[in-house]
Amino acid sequence: MHEISLVRNVFRTLEEEFPNDIDKVRTIRLKVGLLSNVQPILMQNAFQAVLEDEPRYRKTSLEVEVLPILIYCDVCDKTTEVHNYRFACSCGKPSRQVVQGEELLISTIDFD
Amino acid sequence: MKPKSNQAAVGSVQCDNTTMNLLKVNDFVAKAIRDRLPGILVVNICSSPGSGKTTLLQETGKRLKDRLNMAVLVGDPETERDAIRMRDVGINALQIVTGGMCHIEAQMIYQALDHLDLTGVDVLIIENVGNLVCPAAFDLGEDYRVTVLASTEGDDKPRKYPRMFLTSELLLVSKADLLPYVPFSVEAVTEDARAVNADIEVITLSSLKGEGMDAWCAWLEEKVQEKKASLIPA
Repeated sequence: MHEISLVRNVFRTLEEEFPNDIDKVRTIRLKVGLLSNVQPILMQNAFQAVLEDEPRYRKTSLEVEVLPILIYCDVCDKTTEVHNYRFACSCGKPSRQVVQGEELLISTIDFD
Repeated sequence: MKPKSNQAAVGSVQCDNTTMNLLKVNDFVAKAIRDRLPGILVVNICSSPGSGKTTLLQETGKRLKDRLNMAVLVGDPETERDAIRMRDVGINALQIVTGGMCHIEAQMIYQALDHLDLTGVDVLIIENVGNLVCPAAFDLGEDYRVTVLASTEGDDKPRKYPRMFLTSELLLVSKADLLPYVPFSVEAVTEDARAVNADIEVITLSSLKGEGMDAWCAWLEEKVQEKKASLIPA
């Protein structure tokens, strides 16, 4: 359900930005942070489902890139990747300063 | 975004992060909610279905009725049952029926505010749709996010649903009266939650038996006072 509304959001955003070029959109690439709770396979399924009602996008494909979670540590002035959702720097200090991982972005669009 | 409607888009277009953020509409409305409610504390309560959010709010309303003016917006995919339960105990409550959606979005709150009497209200509580995943991504204009986790759900949830615990300021372990009967360790859940979010506060309570309710009500009253104080220019 959530993915369906996201796919509709992608289309709505494209229609606002490129009202005259929707028929030429071939590939939509999304960047989704691991914390966005978006599953690429569910996103693809939702995309296919929404295409049923949106014939204008029948020639369009979707690619979803998942971004790992990165946090910033004040003490080390360093960015660390979060594994197993343990939000701490390698120095041991906990950090909630997420610099990557919450994204839900359209990264590139290919037109004909 | 570079190409606009008067330019023909060809090839590959790199999108600007701020204009093509799929949550931007939600974040925009969330800010409008904050601007609309100066001095009113807004608390977004999240949990799985059946953790006891509605019972907690009924009991909270009864305890604080002479001290705080509380309003509740309650979201569910269907039915008005929860709002009726709140009104039964005298709480000013309005139901948001999401029509099957798994979370509340800021727009639903903004629209619901038109139908809720906020005169004299100190705290607006949003009871989110029961779901530990999707609601975590949607800012509803709240000052604090509180996650309720019932002792019957198991103490392994914070690492399974990290974003919810990462974005919450307070964890309420509910149904504490059942702790003697279920394999749930408050220490283990606290440790797990703090691995995700080192700053999260934890209160263990039982809405039905009353244990821990004073601590929760005191937390709420303290945040209301802080919010009111923020209105007074330094």
